Amino acid sequence: MGLVSDIERQLGALRAAEAADGRPEIRTSTMTHLVWCPPGWHTDARKTLAGLAERHPARTIILLPESGPRAEIVAHAELKVFRLPGLAHEVVSEVIEIRLRGDAAHHPGSVVAPLLVSGLPVFCRWRGELAAGGGELDEILGVADRLVVDSSEWSRVPAAYAALVPLFERSAISDIAFARTLPWRRRLAALWPQIGSVERLRVEGPRADAELLAGWLRSRLKREVSLTRRQAAAVESVRVDGQQVESPGALPGSSDLLSDELDRPGRDPVYEAAVRATGTVADAACHPG
Amino acid sequence: MQLARRPESCAIVIFGATGDLTRRKLIPALYSLAYRNLLPHHFAILGVAHTAQTSATFVATMKKAVKQHARDPFRQDVWDLLSEGMRYVETEFGNEDGNDRVAEALEEVDAEHGTAGNRLYYLAVPPKTFTDSVTEIGERRHREGWVRLIVEKPFGHDLASACALNDLLHHWFREDEIFRIDHYLGKETVQNMLALRFANGIFEPVWNRQFIDHVQITVAEAMGIEGRAGFYEPAGAIRDVFQNHLLQLLALTAMEPPIDFTADAVRTEKVKVLKSMHTPGPKSVVRGQYGAGFVEGLEVPSYREEDGVSPDSLTETYIAAKLYVDNWRWADTPFYVRAGKRLGRRETTIAIQFKQAPHPPFEAIAGDDLRPNVLLIQVQPDEGVSLAIGAKVPGAGMTIRTVHMDFLYGGSFRTQLPEAYERLILDCLLGDAALFTSEDEVEEQWKLVDSIVGGWARDRTNFPNYASGSPGPKAADDLIRRDARSWRRH
Repeated sequence: MGLVSDIERQLGALRAAEAADGRPEIRTSTMTHLVWCPPGWHTDARKTLAGLAERHPARTIILLPESGPRAEIVAHAELKVFRLPGLAHEVVSEVIEIRLRGDAAHHPGSVVAPLLVSGLPVFCRWRGELAAGGGELDEILGVADRLVVDSSEWSRVPAAYAALVPLFERSAISDIAFARTLPWRRRLAALWPQIGSVERLRVEGPRADAELLAGWLRSRLKREVSLTRRQAAAVESVRVDGQQVESPGALPGSSDLLSDELDRPGRDPVYEAAVRATGTVADAACHPG
Repeated sequence: MQLARRPESCAIVIFGATGDLTRRKLIPALYSLAYRNLLPHHFAILGVAHTAQTSATFVATMKKAVKQHARDPFRQDVWDLLSEGMRYVETEFGNEDGNDRVAEALEEVDAEHGTAGNRLYYLAVPPKTFTDSVTEIGERRHREGWVRLIVEKPFGHDLASACALNDLLHHWFREDEIFRIDHYLGKETVQNMLALRFANGIFEPVWNRQFIDHVQITVAEAMGIEGRAGFYEPAGAIRDVFQNHLLQLLALTAMEPPIDFTADAVRTEKVKVLKSMHTPGPKSVVRGQYGAGFVEGLEVPSYREEDGVSPDSLTETYIAAKLYVDNWRWADTPFYVRAGKRLGRRETTIAIQFKQAPHPPFEAIAGDDLRPNVLLIQVQPDEGVSLAIGAKVPGAGMTIRTVHMDFLYGGSFRTQLPEAYERLILDCLLGDAALFTSEDEVEEQWKLVDSIVGGWARDRTNFPNYASGSPGPKAADDLIRRDARSWRRH
């Protein structure tokens, strides 16, 4: 059982070094921020975290599951110090990277539970496929207050949304893909009341963004809206019944989107309704069994 | 630590000197006291145990223990000071010759080190040798100087055995010479609870049933029994933690302000709390035993698979209870307590949950993040105090979010916290028993435990009932959920 004491020792030494200036150290964490980061996602995750800068001082725990013949856990802790204009104190975030090898990768909940900051909410940014039903996700949901996914990272959209629905009762869930559509949703909402009778939606953009836009329209209007799509890296164009919707301009970056989701308290009923109204989920609801 | 007076010269005699406690806690604590120049001018340490070894071997082993377990860096000059009067006597407890040798060694120590016949005996011995050790010490009690006796837990197995131990001790010693140790009381954060309550005008007026919804006390360990099956099998969580640490934390939380911080005043107030507690009904107590699972990512065995544990053991490794303190201050305010081994995280906390604001006008827009105020006393780890309050999120509208005001020991005082044993040994050297448990407290604690355990004889258990690494048995969640409340998750 050396993991926690090893991390506490590392953090203690870092804090002591940081405190050498004699200023009192204050806890500036506002949450525990977990990042589930399978192979291939590490660089993106670190980039997004760097973009968050001082906006969400947190204890960030990056979990890096790796395959391996035997269970092994290796942890490395660092402090990120931000000096803010007008503030006497520094904002300090703790970043703990934990490599989970072999069987240890299947039990992330048992690794992070002793490291959660007492009394603060726990957010988990789940990178990559959701792997719903897997033990790892189950364990993370056991400790996290909010799960933040990006369904544009999933290969089986819209089918994968069906696996998301049962999780709504267990944890608050946000989707970066849905957050990314907010500027477009505002444009569409501005078309009220004409948009109330829309029948066809055409989106040039990623599959997830398009499916969620369509799901959102269906759930808000409580009527069927058909979706056609052309692939693009980001949503470039939206048409309703053949009419071009004015572009909202530049879309926010991944760090800004994650930052907004980390500010949310409870469940997001608008997102949940949109997911329930995406193609496969809605079909399954209409034709159970 | 700064002292108003220095302890008087004395010899410290540790019975059970080859045990884990001596190596990991007692000698490192004495080293830290020496490091800070807090030990008497003249002192000596005498280790007593049945293992055959020379004084030189004992001193070498203790030096290694200090290097490994002391919180302070190793300094040869401090060690020389500490080890100068250190020696070892091999004896079986209850062996007349051996105990004569202890007495002779102490005479020599007095002559060589000027310890003036003052004796602090530390009984770090298994319960079965307790009677012999106390009797031998009593019979050879020195006529000059003072005698103090530190007694480790377990102090008895039930009320009857605890009373018998008290009778035995009182046959040889006065109550003010007996120091029953509960190391939790030596922790800075536990003492800080008293400072928080009685040195600040803002808390005491709201520290009652009118403003507090309920209290949660958690003593959670990630460790298993670590090879202590011999002790743990007959004890279980109720005798290992509930009877002492949990009830002491509860008593400190609920006690009335003492007139001063003397042993009598503090202990009298704690006893009043313990006397006011009524026996919880069977539905208000949950016990559990851990099965196999994962802790810190590693697979761990079930309790019944631990070395020395019966494969059909009914020993509880977890206990949760809803307790009431029936007095003017706390009537109808539940104290939910829980303690267990092999839980997901190690933490000892006292959470005071205040009642919701009577009419929060922001409720509709605050979302579900607006929680009741909680004063969290973090005993370990991350020692400190945190107050959860609702604050307006900057920007338009009136969104309220729970934020935390924190006081962290390490951050505010820029000093390492002393180990509990340092504080308690020093207090005993000074003759101050305020942080030790009195005869009355021990007996009241056992009365409650006996009444709970009595009900278990008729109870059928279905062990194991929680997985290692989990928060505990589902029945414990049900216990608190029936009152429309929930345990703190972390």
